[in-house]
Amino acid sequence: MTEQFAEATPLRVVVVPCSGIGKSYGTVTREAAYIVVEDLCPETTHIVPLSLLVLGDEQAQEAVRGVQVITIDGCKLACATVNVGQAGGQVAREFTVLDCYRRNKQFKPQGIAELNEGGQALAQALAQEVAQAAGELSAQGGTHA
Amino acid sequence: MPSLPQRKVGIVACSGEEIPEGTVTRLAALKVLEELRPNDTVTICLPLFLAGGEGDRAFAKFYPTIAVDGCEKRCAARATELYSNKPAVSLLVDDIIAERGLPRPQGLRRLSSEATPLVDALAEAIAAEVDLLMAARWSRAEGKVLEPETTTPAKVSSAACACGSGIPVTRVQVNGRALEIMALDPILEMAYNQGLHVGVDGQADPVPEHKGVEAPAVFLPAQIMDTVRLYNTIPAEDDAYYAEAVRIAWQSYCAGKEQTHG
Repeated sequence: MTEQFAEATPLRVVVVPCSGIGKSYGTVTREAAYIVVEDLCPETTHIVPLSLLVLGDEQAQEAVRGVQVITIDGCKLACATVNVGQAGGQVAREFTVLDCYRRNKQFKPQGIAELNEGGQALAQALAQEVAQAAGELSAQGGTHA
Repeated sequence: MPSLPQRKVGIVACSGEEIPEGTVTRLAALKVLEELRPNDTVTICLPLFLAGGEGDRAFAKFYPTIAVDGCEKRCAARATELYSNKPAVSLLVDDIIAERGLPRPQGLRRLSSEATPLVDALAEAIAAEVDLLMAARWSRAEGKVLEPETTTPAKVSSAACACGSGIPVTRVQVNGRALEIMALDPILEMAYNQGLHVGVDGQADPVPEHKGVEAPAVFLPAQIMDTVRLYNTIPAEDDAYYAEAVRIAWQSYCAGKEQTHG
């Protein structure tokens, strides 16, 4: 599993969602990350699981070092951004669900195990922003400056 | 009145994004939190152990915690132990698959419908552990489950007599022997109200020594034993046991009164 992102890392942008489980916003970050890596930018992006970074897994830490990392956080505690930093990675772009929601107030997210329509739409909107950033970072070259 | 923190069980799911089993842990944990045991459970985002404060890191010490992992790396269990406290229970999706003979889950963003029984089975396993932990004694000071308390019968307990007369009967344990004494409570109450107290009354009689009965720590006023004899038939060979029983009850009664009076 971790070998996959270790091999692919130099060519790809890493996306790290926050893993939040207590609120809808956490689910939105997860959903947005999946939309980016599965639908919008499957060739240029991949997810590194935050739980492995928290544990200090060497391969996961290696996978976020020296590459372009985009973090997506669900709350102001910014777990994804903080944990990538602690793993020795540099965050190229950080997104938060709340900022995206402020720009898209019509999409009110509800539900955690399963997002409502508003949550799905917000995840789509957020994924578009992340995908655009990933495209820009890929164009600059996958590895971090 | 300040409310005490409610007793709950913590659940930490790995939520691993790159394998279907991670999504299974997340959905099973949410099922327990939202549907199966909503009043008995709380959760925390795993990364908060690093990104959060001291309060977050105390989570698994404050709550007995069930770590739920999707793979053998056991991120939830190991990170919880590393940053907070050893989880009380560690569950692994693979173990549930093996135990129940269920198919491996497919899908990341959306689990296939075949994964539903696995999510349900894992949620049931978590809920069962929640019930066990709710019944166990948890030390927040030590952050671990304590040995069950050995239930020792109260030395002195009172109830109404089974004959239906309404006369209270007091049961007293002496050297492993239970003695029942009629009307002891009102006798002790009367004695106390008349000014007799443990170890301070000049008319107190020492309890006679008897084989197998420890020497009394306090004196028992003679009037009390005399009154007890009016209401109870005491065999001569058991007199010392009864005297000791009444002394214990008297000491307990006076201690209760003194506590009440501050």
